[in-house]
Amino acid sequence: MTFSLLKGLRVVELGESVSAPYCTKLLADMGAEVVKIERPGVGDQAREYGPFLNDQPHHERSGLFLYLNSNKQGITLDLDTPTGQEILGELLAKSQVFVHNLHPTEMDRLEVDYEALRTHNDQLVMASITPFGLTGPYRNYKAYDINLAAAGGICEGLGSPDKEPLTFGTPEVGYFAAMAAASSVVIALLAGQGQHIDIAEVESMAGIYNGPEALMAVYQWRMTRRTGHHALDFPYPNCILRCKDGYIFVGSPEGRQWRALLEVMGGPEWAKEGRFRNRTAMNNEHADEVDGYMEEWLLQHTKAELLVLALEHRIPLAPVRDFKEVRNDESLADQFAAIYRPDTGPVSFAGPPYSLYPQETTPPSPAPLLGQHNSDIYCDRLGYSKEELVKLYQTGII
Amino acid sequence: MSQNNPNLIAGPLERYRVLDFGWVLAGALPGMILADMGAEVIKVETRQRMDYMRLGRPIIGDEPDPEQHPLFHNVNRGKLSIAVNTTKPEAIDLIKGLVSHCDVVVENFSPGVMDRLGLGYDVLSGIKSDIIMASISSNGQTGPLRDLRAYAPSIGALSGLDSTMGYEGERPLGLKHAYADIAGALHSVFAIVSALHQRERTRQGQYIDVSMLRATVATMGVGLMEYELTGNVMAPKGNYDPVMAPYGNYPSQGDDAWVSIAVRTEEEWQGLKTAMGKPAWCEETPFESRYSRQENRRELDENLATWTRARTAEDITEQLQANGVAALPVMGAEDRLFNPHFKARGLYSDIEHPSLGTEPIYNIMWNLEQTPPSIRRHAPLLGEHNQQIFGGLLGMGKEDVARLEEDQVLW
Repeated sequence: MTFSLLKGLRVVELGESVSAPYCTKLLADMGAEVVKIERPGVGDQAREYGPFLNDQPHHERSGLFLYLNSNKQGITLDLDTPTGQEILGELLAKSQVFVHNLHPTEMDRLEVDYEALRTHNDQLVMASITPFGLTGPYRNYKAYDINLAAAGGICEGLGSPDKEPLTFGTPEVGYFAAMAAASSVVIALLAGQGQHIDIAEVESMAGIYNGPEALMAVYQWRMTRRTGHHALDFPYPNCILRCKDGYIFVGSPEGRQWRALLEVMGGPEWAKEGRFRNRTAMNNEHADEVDGYMEEWLLQHTKAELLVLALEHRIPLAPVRDFKEVRNDESLADQFAAIYRPDTGPVSFAGPPYSLYPQETTPPSPAPLLGQHNSDIYCDRLGYSKEELVKLYQTGII
Repeated sequence: MSQNNPNLIAGPLERYRVLDFGWVLAGALPGMILADMGAEVIKVETRQRMDYMRLGRPIIGDEPDPEQHPLFHNVNRGKLSIAVNTTKPEAIDLIKGLVSHCDVVVENFSPGVMDRLGLGYDVLSGIKSDIIMASISSNGQTGPLRDLRAYAPSIGALSGLDSTMGYEGERPLGLKHAYADIAGALHSVFAIVSALHQRERTRQGQYIDVSMLRATVATMGVGLMEYELTGNVMAPKGNYDPVMAPYGNYPSQGDDAWVSIAVRTEEEWQGLKTAMGKPAWCEETPFESRYSRQENRRELDENLATWTRARTAEDITEQLQANGVAALPVMGAEDRLFNPHFKARGLYSDIEHPSLGTEPIYNIMWNLEQTPPSIRRHAPLLGEHNQQIFGGLLGMGKEDVARLEEDQVLW
């Protein structure tokens, strides 16, 4: 689904993997026209990441790439050449926004620098998404998702006390940097002046996820020690427990919810014990014991049955769903749209997470093949002739 | 820093005013960010039902005190607060009076509450036709899950996020962070500023219904595509990446100290070998290629851990980074607070709050170089700005406001 809030906005992306591509996907899904630049012959590294259609590896069949790059036009351009650099300038002269996630050392090497690029367009809004930002002692450090999650505070609280700290099961940090960059771009446009935006992926985690925790630490309130499936210093229950056909999240921050849950469970005797009066103490001191009592009841019920009870009695129970269950949740069906491309057939992707009113929507277009829109952009937008296009191709520029 | 920072330059959104009914985390964050960006954000609160983040144990003394919660101080800095008793019709009229002076309304009550208060989008857009209203909820304003009581961990469960987080073959653990709140809040900010961009061109208002579940689902690219394209359903695999090995958190010298290391390219593998002084095991057959290292990652992890265990996470980070290898310590909150990089970047500002003194408040690090965000003031006391807002925007005198406070309308 494509909205029209950012209709008319022209964006150029030089992005790989998740962060810059999801940033411009957000912009594209709001109606911006996005041109994605890829390296000739190679393309975005998400093309090799997969998962691949029918498990047949192919750079045009990577699910991560197809998802993050729908609604964009794709061109190839070699920025390692002076002609490539010149063409980038011409493209930016006809655009308002440039988003990239080159590493700072690559920015230095390719001389991708705001002051230089704004000579082509003094109103240019440029967002640089880098692992640690464009300043500071870690500027040139390298990082992948797990390193950013580790420094950003995701890992310290995830796992068992006697084992290694864990990270996300799939790459996630880039999405948060992307959201920061996409909003920042629009805010810069609202402010009405060209400028450079410096987004550090690690800060999109460290700041917004754990910023408050620094303050909690000052007051000796620690929330994120590894405590397995339990959370520290929360009223019990606030954890994932076993049920008949899988796992269920059980929470009850409000006393009313806990009382309702016990009532649904038939008012068990164990819950009446004095040592369970304080639910935070129950969590911190007796969680494993109480898990046993809870699971005895939960194991008699399926996830679907428990969800019905949750809705009926307003208790925070939530099934732990795998991706098959998520995809087949009818209440989410309208978030997904099947996008057709001749070589993949119809593939369904998650669309934007908002419903907008009043707003007209148009169907999304599929992710571009490598260099698919070279002729549209180089000839139709930038005015190159077909002969020049062929020459650019033959000399490896595009 | 005192109440108002005199060194502030105008924020990029300074011409906008936001009426912020958001509370707890998902609802409070958008207003916080818009305030740092320069918007005037009026937090609408009530003593009838206080923001949960004002509750909880006090720092000083034993009595509950709504002005002492560190989380509240973080996510509500920069805002102004009015206390309005929404059970009184007179209070609802006052809120409507404010709406005509506002550009954006944010709320995250349970679906249906704003309508019940007589403050739904239909009413508000009748008062101000180009109002932008964002409603943030767990599962959206419509559909079968609309009324499910759900918090961030519920959404972690429902979205598939939790289904891949855990040790291989073991139970899913659940993330200890409010991923869904933040995913919902950040998508909301993006939709709000995009709606402002549209309004600048078309004078059109906008209603925005953001579901935290859908926001989280939108970030599940790999997991959902894996199922869509191959039919495979992902399960917990510990610290795992399909194209990288080593990829994990490794034990380092010290009490429960760990370092994250990830290697993708052959060049990085050579860098790791060099940093370790080229130990013999690296040359063994199981580790000869990217492919074989991924296949034999458990054995690889054990070998690597023998090297990491004897060194501190900081030393490992320096040595590996010097050789072009991605490594960083697993950091806790204090580690970040005192880390030289985050210090140099200005991740935290010291902000003075009347109840607790100077506190490190994190900055939203969206570094717009010409119009940077900044923390404009400490988190407001409950109802601190009744006079400023009702006097300034609705022209009410001191006595009027005092009378309404006494009558528990502004309360």
